[in-house]
Amino acid sequence: MAEHHTASDSKHKASSNAGSSVSGNGRPNSPAGCSGGGLSGGLTQPAGWQSLLSFTILFLAWLAGFSSRLFAVIRFESIIHEFDPWRDELLVLIRKNLPDRPSRFNYRSTHHLTTNGFYEFLNWFDERAWYPLGRIVGGTVYPGLMVTAGLIHYILNLLHVTVHIRDVCVFLAPIFSGLTAISTFLLTRELWNQGAGLLAACFIAIVPGYISRSVAGSFDNEGIAIFALQFTYYLWGLQNELKFVLSTQVKSVKTGSVFWAIGCCLSYFYMVSAWGGYVFIINLIPLHVFVLLLMQRFSRRLYIAYSTFYIVGLVLSMQIPFVGFQPIRTSEHMAAAGVFALLQAYSFLQYLKDRLTRQEFQTLFFLGVSLAAGLVFLTVIYLTYTGYIAPWSGRFYSLWDTGGLCRETQSPVELQLCSASHLLRSPHCRYRRYAKIHIPIIASVSEHQPTTWVSFFFDLHILVCTFPAGLWFCIKNINDERVFGVIIHPAQKQKGFATAFCCSSCTAVSVSLTEVLCLPLVALYAISAVYFAGVMVRLMLTLTPVVCMLSAIAFSSVFEHYLGDDMKRENPPAEDSSDEDDKRNQGNLYDKAGKVRKHVSEQDRPEEGLGPNIKSIVTMLMLMLLMMFAVHCTWVTSNAYSSPSVVLASYNHDGSRNILDDFREAYYWLRQNTDEHARVMSWWDYGYQIAGMANRTTLVDNNTWNNSHIALVGKAMSSNESAAYEIMKSLDVDYVLIIFGGVIGYSGDDINKFLWMVRIAEGEHPKDIRESDYFTPQGEFRVDKAGSPTLLNCLMYKMSYYRFGEMQLDFRTPPGFDRTRNAEIGNKDIHLKHLEEAFTSEHWLVRIYRVKKQENRQALDHKLRNISAKQKYTSKKTAKRKRGFIKNKLALKKGKKLVKKSV
Amino acid sequence: MWGFTGLQNKAPIPLQLFYFANSFKNMLAEKVEQMMEWSSRRSVIRMNGDKFRRFVKAPPRNYSVIVMFTALQPQRQCSVCRQANEEYQVLANSWRYSSAFSNKLFFTVVDYDEGADVFQQLNMNSAPTFMHFPAKGKPKRADTFDLQRIGFASEQLAKWIADRTDVQIRVFRPPNYSGTIALALLVSLVGGLLYLRRNNLEFIYNKTGWAMAALCVVFAMTSGQMWNHIRGPPYAHKNPQNGQVSYIHGSSQAQFVAESHIILLLNAAITMGMVLLNEAATSKGDVGKRRIICLVGLGLVVFFFSFLLSIFRSKYHGYPYSFLIK
Repeated sequence: MAEHHTASDSKHKASSNAGSSVSGNGRPNSPAGCSGGGLSGGLTQPAGWQSLLSFTILFLAWLAGFSSRLFAVIRFESIIHEFDPWRDELLVLIRKNLPDRPSRFNYRSTHHLTTNGFYEFLNWFDERAWYPLGRIVGGTVYPGLMVTAGLIHYILNLLHVTVHIRDVCVFLAPIFSGLTAISTFLLTRELWNQGAGLLAACFIAIVPGYISRSVAGSFDNEGIAIFALQFTYYLWGLQNELKFVLSTQVKSVKTGSVFWAIGCCLSYFYMVSAWGGYVFIINLIPLHVFVLLLMQRFSRRLYIAYSTFYIVGLVLSMQIPFVGFQPIRTSEHMAAAGVFALLQAYSFLQYLKDRLTRQEFQTLFFLGVSLAAGLVFLTVIYLTYTGYIAPWSGRFYSLWDTGGLCRETQSPVELQLCSASHLLRSPHCRYRRYAKIHIPIIASVSEHQPTTWVSFFFDLHILVCTFPAGLWFCIKNINDERVFGVIIHPAQKQKGFATAFCCSSCTAVSVSLTEVLCLPLVALYAISAVYFAGVMVRLMLTLTPVVCMLSAIAFSSVFEHYLGDDMKRENPPAEDSSDEDDKRNQGNLYDKAGKVRKHVSEQDRPEEGLGPNIKSIVTMLMLMLLMMFAVHCTWVTSNAYSSPSVVLASYNHDGSRNILDDFREAYYWLRQNTDEHARVMSWWDYGYQIAGMANRTTLVDNNTWNNSHIALVGKAMSSNESAAYEIMKSLDVDYVLIIFGGVIGYSGDDINKFLWMVRIAEGEHPKDIRESDYFTPQGEFRVDKAGSPTLLNCLMYKMSYYRFGEMQLDFRTPPGFDRTRNAEIGNKDIHLKHLEEAFTSEHWLVRIYRVKKQENRQALDHKLRNISAKQKYTSKKTAKRKRGFIKNKLALKKGKKLVKKSV
Repeated sequence: MWGFTGLQNKAPIPLQLFYFANSFKNMLAEKVEQMMEWSSRRSVIRMNGDKFRRFVKAPPRNYSVIVMFTALQPQRQCSVCRQANEEYQVLANSWRYSSAFSNKLFFTVVDYDEGADVFQQLNMNSAPTFMHFPAKGKPKRADTFDLQRIGFASEQLAKWIADRTDVQIRVFRPPNYSGTIALALLVSLVGGLLYLRRNNLEFIYNKTGWAMAALCVVFAMTSGQMWNHIRGPPYAHKNPQNGQVSYIHGSSQAQFVAESHIILLLNAAITMGMVLLNEAATSKGDVGKRRIICLVGLGLVVFFFSFLLSIFRSKYHGYPYSFLIK
């Protein structure tokens, strides 16, 4: 457990540094914080020591994070894994489907990118997916991940480091986790101080909530997206790290504002190219600006920063083909546009304010505001009505409409569970509404479930209980008026910033003021992220960084006060380190303000320490908690987040390990033994795996954009064999692949997912498929003799249990005993007419059937009806005896003239 | 009817059949008229045993009847029945006031206290139950609505009715204004409060208030209140055998409401401990007092965290670590 040692080790160092770093960068908010500066006073060059120490700690954090992500690669192999972090082990397994983990697909596209070049990749039409439709890949993916991996591969090859693109992909996420740690460090340093930054970096390096998406071998967008997210916030926060120099005239520092805003835009662009979660940024930053306006923190710099960010960011984000015109058309992006307009109006009003009298200004203000509000409202309504602005789009919508989510997720089977387990007995549970199914696919994916407290604790451990304290400190220190008020005008102490801003023109004092305007950003970040994480387990990922930052703040403020010595606290150092500090760009700002603070507070406070005993006890216990956190992280990473779904492992009683490699066995079989253009039908969970590992054409895959196509496959699986054959014929299916876990007791197999197939099929074909047919009259889903006949004769059942009835697994159980569902199967005598078994893997986990081609004509299963052919009447008369007749025979009468009848 | 019996003796047999059919028709028309009249008064027709037998069970019918068997009397304490009744009323009203309203379909209700004999006759021992009596023939298995499985939302009922009778009902829910009214009230309350205190708006800048609000949101979310809101678990579980009440759900996939409240308190206590630790070090004042605050804070953090860990351990089977408390 080397990595666990490293992790806890780095944490100790980080925490010890938290105490020592106070000298340089202590925020001026706490009296003890700024007077604890003597810790590093004994060192000759504190700045040098500090940067060396921070560098070492960051490096160690990177190393620890990297190595704890390697479990899967070391245990199994350096392949692209697909992880299923939210594996519901105990609850009955219907709810669980594999989430749409696109690692395999991403890898395939990256491979395409490196072999064929960037433009080929953008124009790639993948005819192997969604047969017979195909899929346009270039325009329907976020290309950031592939381009990053491709670029690294290209550079390495340029330097003659010949690595396979697969290895780049496998190790991309762990490497980016280190970059995430560094950007978290930077952001937290801006926010609080260096010590907190280092702690935050250590936290994010090993926290399970982030590891779950960035294990080596998981080649996911989220792995790099979190880095982009943090870095964008850092660059945005940097611009708001305002240094107001108030001299005779009010002047905000202008240098570099547009520069940093452009940097922020580029980072945002990277985020947009990497992950759909960019919507979070484009909503949070406007919200931050809005809150700053409410707090009356408008400044020219904010104006420049936001205007630049919005316009350049908008244009850049529209360069991604998949995003396209969404940023100006969908309502997720409207908040940003609204705040942009508001900011323009606000600055215009500020401009007018200088030129008008108070009275005029007020009337103009109210008139303007009401007019603008009405105009915006009407425009939005008009645009929505005419369809220029799309209403809330799918996945995002379900975040807001939690009631809708409730209806979706209450699947009938769960209701069944409720009554079966006798646990959740209340009528409330049993008669939950299950009315509208907006999007059954969304409901079927286990990632789209709300989060229990256990998941929070599992993913964040002690951080989840301590980060509210960090949030508390943040909000309490959200604006430092004290610094300002004391110096300029004691009377202004209680007033808001704006009043002081106005009156400052009359005071001729030059003051340097730092105000950490990104504190509200982090507070908003925390609150919105915690809400989203509560609604959807998947969004735990966006919560994790902010939790790390805030609990780092909480821990570091404790360590600041309890780690140092009492003696030194009482004697602040006489020497000034401002010369060295001035060279460093950000940290020194605090320092100056801190010194200002010091002068004020020193006279009236003879500091009395709490005593070394208490301090050491507190420090010890805190360190112990942090150590437990490190141990927990390692355990969780090793046990929960490092078991890929492609390779399964089972453990014997003596602890030895069996590796079940059935999936790969089956995929390689497909690759070696089937025609290159064979079409394989399977449930959508295995689409990417078949395409990636077997290199065969699939009908549906994990990208769930086409519900009706999936429903057709679901219908084929849930119909009887001959009806299914018709569907398979029309879809040109050559092979059918299913997952069957009855032999080894694997719970994630297709029979357990079967009800979702039925349900999705019913959504599209309500006439043919009826969910209730698959239940017993008592409403149970059973595979044994009592099961419903429809279920016992459907294609999925037949394929899963074909010849299973002949197999006796155990002497205690009858033949045909399903270990997953603990039941003896109900239909042991299965004959397949249109299919034949082609391959079954070692543990029966994967079964592949070949769809028989029609041989000339399908043989009738009954005899031809013996029709006694109706004897056609043939006259026995010979030609001679036949009497002929003449048409329109003339009627002749003797003695009369011939009359011709007119016919 | 009298005509039927009176004519019986005199008329010859074919004529008798004719009259028979004719009176059947009359009777049907009379029944339909009666039903229409009732349903014009109320969208759901209340029935007792006699009416039920005459209008629903008795053969001459050309209309379908949906019957809800229920127990709405307060002493029956059937809260589900009341909810189901609301949904049923919504559906019946949608039908009653739709343009497609005809005499082909009627909505009726039989209450247990008014028609207990009907319940016995149909061998029914649970309420609410929805049944469809088709115009022709006897009700089949699918004519009983599967309430257990698909719930009783009016949309589901409408789907079922469309399936059984080919009558499409578009459910029209009367718009629910309570949310809007509550919002408007809240806004006006806040606005009024602000207006009353317009001279002293200092409290808006009160950071403690904002911080408290933020922490409330955070605690609510991290203790899984959103999960409760969406899944609606029971408050706690009482074991029917020995009457023990368990507040903690045994599995890591679910939780009780009580459990989430306990977690909320634990999280809050740990946070408070951290804040107290900070307070103790930064505040000015008596050293003894500060020491006590410090120790209290430390105790809160350490004790409640180990408690939380032990709860987690009891739920997440196979978790190896614990601290102070097993």
